[in-house]
Amino acid sequence: MSNDTEPMGVKRRDFLKVLGAAGATVATVGCSTDKIAKLIPYTVHPDQTVAGVSTYYASTCRECAASCGIIAETRDGRTTKLEGNPEHPLNRGALCARGQSAVQGLYNPDRLRGPMVKENGAWKPIEWDAALTLVSQKLGEARSTGKAGAAVFINQHETGSFPNFLDAWLAGFGMRPHLSVDFETDSAAIEANRRTYGVAWPRLSFADAKLIVSFGADFLETWGMSVPQQLDFADARAKIEGAPRFVYIGPRRSLTGLNADQWVACKPGSELAIANALAGKGSIAEAATQSGVAEATLTRLQQELASAKPGLVLAGGTAANALDLALAVAAINQASGAVGTTVRPAESLAAFDGAARFGDVVAAVEQMRSGAVTLAFVRGANPAYSLPASAKFADAFSKVAFKVSFSLYPDETTELCDLILPDLHSLESWGDADAGRGTISLQQPAMDPVFAATRATADVLIQLAQKDPANAARYAQKDYRSWLMSRFPGGMNAFTAALQKGVASGAVAARAVVATAPATLPSVAMDATPGEYFLVTYYSPVHGDGRGANKPWLQELPDPVTKVLWSSWVEIHPETANRLGIERGDILEVGTANGKVRAPAYLYLGIRPDTIALAIGQGHVSVAKLDEFDGRNDKVHPVQWGYGRYARNIGVRAHDLLAVGGNAAGGFSLASTKATLTKTGDHETLVSTEGSARQHGRGIAQAISIGSLLGGAAGGAAGAATDGEHQTEHKIPGAASHEFLPGLRSPVAADAQGQLGAPSAKDQGKNKGMYAEDHWSGMANRRWAMTIDLARCTGCSACVTACYAENNVPTVGAAWQNATVYAVAKPGFNITRGREMNWIRLERYFEGADDGQFTEDFESRFVPMLCQHCGNAPCEPVCPVYATYHAPDGLNVQVYNRCVGTRYCSNNCPYKVRYFNWFGYGEEDRKQYAFPEPLNWQLNPDVTVRGKGVMEKCTMCVQRIREAEMRAKSEGRELVADEFTVACAQACPSRAIVFGDAADPRWTVASQVEDRRAYHVFEELNTYTAVVYLKKVNHPGPASPVRA
Amino acid sequence: MATLAQPRPDDELTRPNVATASNRLPAVRDYQQIDRDIIGTLKPTLGWFALLGSAILALLIGIAAWTYQIREGLGAAGYQPPVMWGVYIISFVFWVGIGHAGTLISAILYLFRAGFRTTIYRCSEAMTVFAVMTAGLFPILHLGRPWKFFWLIPYPNWRLIWPNPKSPLVWDVFAILTYLTVSATFFYVGLIPDIAVLRDQEKNPTRKRIYAALALGWRNSDKEWRHFTRAYLFLAAFATPLVLSVHSVVSFDFAMALTPGWHATIFPPYFVAGAIFSGIGMVFTIIIPIRKFMKLEHYVTINDLDAAAKLCLFTSCVVGLAYLTEFQVAWLSGNRVEQEYFWNRVFGQWAWAAWIMLICNMVLPLSLFSQKLRRNTTWLFILSIFINIGMWFERFVIVIPSLSHEFEPWQWGGYHPTWVDFAILLGSFGWFFMWFLLFIRQLPVMAIAEIKEIIPPRMRHDHDRSHDLDALTLDPINTMGDD
Repeated sequence: MSNDTEPMGVKRRDFLKVLGAAGATVATVGCSTDKIAKLIPYTVHPDQTVAGVSTYYASTCRECAASCGIIAETRDGRTTKLEGNPEHPLNRGALCARGQSAVQGLYNPDRLRGPMVKENGAWKPIEWDAALTLVSQKLGEARSTGKAGAAVFINQHETGSFPNFLDAWLAGFGMRPHLSVDFETDSAAIEANRRTYGVAWPRLSFADAKLIVSFGADFLETWGMSVPQQLDFADARAKIEGAPRFVYIGPRRSLTGLNADQWVACKPGSELAIANALAGKGSIAEAATQSGVAEATLTRLQQELASAKPGLVLAGGTAANALDLALAVAAINQASGAVGTTVRPAESLAAFDGAARFGDVVAAVEQMRSGAVTLAFVRGANPAYSLPASAKFADAFSKVAFKVSFSLYPDETTELCDLILPDLHSLESWGDADAGRGTISLQQPAMDPVFAATRATADVLIQLAQKDPANAARYAQKDYRSWLMSRFPGGMNAFTAALQKGVASGAVAARAVVATAPATLPSVAMDATPGEYFLVTYYSPVHGDGRGANKPWLQELPDPVTKVLWSSWVEIHPETANRLGIERGDILEVGTANGKVRAPAYLYLGIRPDTIALAIGQGHVSVAKLDEFDGRNDKVHPVQWGYGRYARNIGVRAHDLLAVGGNAAGGFSLASTKATLTKTGDHETLVSTEGSARQHGRGIAQAISIGSLLGGAAGGAAGAATDGEHQTEHKIPGAASHEFLPGLRSPVAADAQGQLGAPSAKDQGKNKGMYAEDHWSGMANRRWAMTIDLARCTGCSACVTACYAENNVPTVGAAWQNATVYAVAKPGFNITRGREMNWIRLERYFEGADDGQFTEDFESRFVPMLCQHCGNAPCEPVCPVYATYHAPDGLNVQVYNRCVGTRYCSNNCPYKVRYFNWFGYGEEDRKQYAFPEPLNWQLNPDVTVRGKGVMEKCTMCVQRIREAEMRAKSEGRELVADEFTVACAQACPSRAIVFGDAADPRWTVASQVEDRRAYHVFEELNTYTAVVYLKKVNHPGPASPVRA
Repeated sequence: MATLAQPRPDDELTRPNVATASNRLPAVRDYQQIDRDIIGTLKPTLGWFALLGSAILALLIGIAAWTYQIREGLGAAGYQPPVMWGVYIISFVFWVGIGHAGTLISAILYLFRAGFRTTIYRCSEAMTVFAVMTAGLFPILHLGRPWKFFWLIPYPNWRLIWPNPKSPLVWDVFAILTYLTVSATFFYVGLIPDIAVLRDQEKNPTRKRIYAALALGWRNSDKEWRHFTRAYLFLAAFATPLVLSVHSVVSFDFAMALTPGWHATIFPPYFVAGAIFSGIGMVFTIIIPIRKFMKLEHYVTINDLDAAAKLCLFTSCVVGLAYLTEFQVAWLSGNRVEQEYFWNRVFGQWAWAAWIMLICNMVLPLSLFSQKLRRNTTWLFILSIFINIGMWFERFVIVIPSLSHEFEPWQWGGYHPTWVDFAILLGSFGWFFMWFLLFIRQLPVMAIAEIKEIIPPRMRHDHDRSHDLDALTLDPINTMGDD
């Protein structure tokens, strides 16, 4: 700031700076003024940027192949939050956890900050000019020696113009088209779709189906395009009457499987036999023997499939016969008349067009091994991690003379390269994607690059081309943006107009891919491999093929099924575990012919007793020996090889157990081997947020069967005794009826006044509650409330990450965030102590299978649990300093500045939704700091970063409420119904959460709270919650035991 | 010189008429011996220095741990949500409980004319004051932001924010501060005649000056005695309801919450009984070594200990009844949450703690039905250690299992204290014993004046020696009956 040598007092300019900054400081952090210097915004701000006012840029999410539309909220030049683009045809405003976390990729503290070159095994920074000259030279050498044709360019799969641009560029240098790699794509399904329907991915309409049967297709997670599918699935299920029943067939109940009404637990690889039998091409009895499923189950399913038309049958097999399965399933769909109704090839989606197959990648690796490849480029993809160890990628890659990485992160592949030219993040660069036939989804920078010395790869390619006399003429544009605009249908004006919405009609030219037969891969028959247990591996719903692991939000997001985080785990059925004397947390060694991994046991009801499962996504390692990251805000940032500090040395690489085996479509067989299981004798506390997985009859997650619901036993008083619970004897005696409470509909939160707590006339009006009578005056007559429809909720946990993003919730699980206190540098150690800060959490309760014996017949219920904003809140009277109190519009408010940290409020909260700052997660001089530079750029300026020693909890996004109220006021109008919503509701890909003013009938929530399925959790405690749950609806099969 | 009035039986405001009491201290011959024996305990010994050093070391460890905790954040302690209260609140209630016996013995038993209190009440009172001083630290050091603790105290401020009168934690502030004030005052007032004795006997001029200041110019006049006895009686009456109220208020910290296992109307009487029980336990822990090492066996007689042991037995039975009542109420409540909690308490993850509590507090004290054991100081001492442990675990069982096993099964958890918790707990013992050890070498551990009162009158004339001026003219009690 001011010049230290300045002898005279304060200069006018400095005075004004301090004045402004002090004002800003008071507004944001309360009374502290010790960080003035860091809060000064632009002196001369760019156009369109008003200090403190958000700008919203429509763009495209690049976290998976689906390419959903996003809106990047940008404040003072920094992107703070991603939200779904409501105008986008794919995700219609929703966004999954992985998409939300893109900002943590953008601001990842371990991003590569500039070009580097490896000299004699050591990395050195290099200037861009020198780096480009070096690449030009290598390109020239390759061309002159005639080896350019063998050069390999591996790109993370994406749609849009870039693949064509890249292929053209490669062709210009005499190189072959690039490999567009996405390990999560289901090659078998794509191949079957191509052969059957002529398109890679038809649109699936769940809502039109009467019955959904999934053969291991995890369409709510990593199979296909999760957010659009989830939206559609939730819409289908929310129909209640006529909603499709859902049967999941597979050895392991994934998140998708847990959402099914029925689980058919077949042996891995036997799905084909079942599909054939269902289609009438094989005997049911034979299929039953092969799959280990009861014959009656298959017979019933066959009958159901025949009667419920149209059905929607999906195949997501991961065994060697996956293509046959996919083809068989496609045949079932064709035969049942599903094509055109539930499977719509005419509305095909382009997300997987041009995706390379696993076999193609392996073929390229083998070429490298042969020494034919002298030049390799890798952008985005991380084959050194994603390929199984048996592919020996590192060995083959080292034979390539010159390897260039365009990666943003110090991942495994980049560490093996010779030159790094760090790309820009998708939120900093231009691009487009194919959102479906006839729709282009645009990607634009939401901010300037975080690191000035990084460059968009497309721009680098143009610069390289311009350096090359043979190519220069073809690249007249100065950068990729100009190139993109020049090719946009309708030209620059159309482009500019389209940017506002993020989507435009038109079509991106499909990538011309030479149709080749998939490279032959050894097809491994699982039964032929040695080992006692079938091994099922799957891509983590949270980390995908490992891409998510470097983002603390995703590390901190419990796996939706097992609720394990910051760790790997081995899923094993309790029955098997019991037989082997294994307990939760015992370290098991899983061995196959290809390797061994050690991970703690997780006892899971949803897996066959003869099967064990491991998730892929963790286990990033570095070649370089690096010291344990210690969390201090070091001035020097050594490159954190091994995919960054948040990913390195966490968990195990499950796919290292697999052989390089594939299906006939060239896809990777994730279920290709049997494995041995050894108990090592070690034990650790599993890092998990799961307390008890059983409700103990407490009516937290309630469900009702469709029969009871339609038969009239609704969510009302009569229903409470019979439905709500798994078993009626679990009912809490004396529990209140689930009749609707008046507090929610009261125009102000008079309930906290005690007026509504005493229905008897003699007490009415006498019990005034905690607050002065005029406490309610001067504010709107509102009651902010929320409904959560458990019939829609799939448990995907996007709401959790949305809340982290919106409310500056710190992540606490990194090893160093605890190392000082316990001298234990164990990832997730804070979480084993229950110190996670998730303001909204996804509880997952099981019903049935109480004896721990294997059964297909158990149910899971997901409940997002957050502060219930009770009208009669137990936390309020116990706070000695009024740090938590009742706002006039019904919110239960936490005043961080006032909190002294007695934690009594949390003790008295029946919902346990209050979170305490045990450490200085928001203090940058502490090891526990959760937002190391530049992660802190993401922090929402509207929300305080809490200091240590104070309690925090869900505020119902009070900053959004106040912003909307003030906007309405400044525009001289009333709030419009459903004008805004809270972060969790906004992100929810199943539209389960509805937020609004329950006191105003125009809001959606006001009618939702009166739904016949509505109930309050722990209503018997007279808390008068503002969060109303709508019971889950179960669709029992024709002869399955009625649970709900 | 001053003439002391004989105790007047017709005056209700005077102290108990001890003139007619039987000889309760047969081994004590005369006033000089009392002065000699009790003032003789003030001479520091090597062992005392060693103990004091250990206490201060323990305190320093506690201070270091607290400093570390403030710097790192409260996560340094073993809190494991949903267990948001831990060792500090347990220790808070434990020390408040300890602080109950003193006032009970000095005030209530005084009003009830229980003779056995005379020789043990001074120690108990000192224990009370120091225990409350210790207890008062815990609510502060358990705060997330301890430097803001004064926000719990109503003081005028420009924000016009006052503490929340509905919060039991605010009641705690008042209850503890009131109790500390009253018990300290009571302790001090009772000390005044004894300090005057020390002042008169002291040779060291500095110490003499200090004693002189503390004696408030006590000249042993008739008028002073009249005022003194009335003030003492008044304070005893004033302190008596506090014995009941303070721990009732502390119990409200739990009973006012809706947490299963806490939300119970039985808590106030149950806590008061428990407090008295634990306090008597601590009295045994303290008085038995003092009696032995300060050679005061012929003052604190076996009869006195026997009587105190009976009180201990009685309170143990009350506490035991309360334990059983809790289970019965949970059983009869039909409230599933409550039932599951109590089941978990005794047979679930916390069974070990619950059984420590039940055995130490309910089973072992039953041995006191045996007169032989009541009169066995070794057994009493061992038992008192068990009672201290048991009562600490009683609070553990109240705080931890409830919080770890509440309404929301998804949030059920455990609790693992860290070295910081234990260091601070150790520090609290250091703090307590530092004060106590300082006390026993600076002030008489027994009320000199009151002991002189209970010696049979005939001994007052038994002045065969020590006709020194001091004893005759300045020692007030010595002159009694001389006229």
